[in-house]
Amino acid sequence: MTPRPSRAAWFFNAYTQLAIGALLVTASELLLKKGATAVGPGGAFGVATLASGWTWLGIVLYVISFFNWLYVLRVMPLGVAFGLISAVHVLVPIGAALFLHEEISARRWIGIALILAGIIVLSRPVARAEEKL
Amino acid sequence: MTALAIALCILCQVFLVVGQVLLKHAMAPATESAGLRAIGVRNLLLGIACLTAWFFLWVGLLQQWELSQIFPFEGLNPALLVIAAWLFLGERLPPSAWVAIALITVGVVLVSSS
Repeated sequence: MTPRPSRAAWFFNAYTQLAIGALLVTASELLLKKGATAVGPGGAFGVATLASGWTWLGIVLYVISFFNWLYVLRVMPLGVAFGLISAVHVLVPIGAALFLHEEISARRWIGIALILAGIIVLSRPVARAEEKL
Repeated sequence: MTALAIALCILCQVFLVVGQVLLKHAMAPATESAGLRAIGVRNLLLGIACLTAWFFLWVGLLQQWELSQIFPFEGLNPALLVIAAWLFLGERLPPSAWVAIALITVGVVLVSSS
């Protein structure tokens, strides 16, 4: 049930879905951290964190992002898709700074810049390959 | 960070890489045809099992250590996955994509180590 790519179907475009997925995963990671912090350390394999509603909300977003990811994998090479989803590593530190008050050091900003550069380089040949289709 | 934490972080990433390769194989259009559907369903379920193991390990690690200490280990994944996709799925990427993955890997390590 993959829709034919067209301007009207931009929402179903693999890149749009990948971007939505990156936002869902970021929100999920922050919620899981919030849930884990609320419960505190202890217990095996994080099962105790299920006591927090934040953890469950994080899980719900994660499950949605999973179907989103399967959709992306139908059309995109795994290596490319996973490189692009590294946008999460840009969004999570920024989200953690905004919502969890974690600090972003100069070194971390450099890392964020390198990841963004990598994403730009990675998306170019893919876009070119798609033009041929 | 203890040696145990580092070992668990790496084990975590192995589950993720294996799970993702299985998912990609299951979702590939070629798997849907030619009577391969049963293998696709099996790989999808195995992939989900691997990612479930990854998920609970991950939440457990997040519970014990700071997000910013644990998160760097995900930096291994783009590199591991592009290699795994090349070896097991036959994905061929242009040299620029390998450069991009190297940039992302270094970037994630910097983000995580600060």
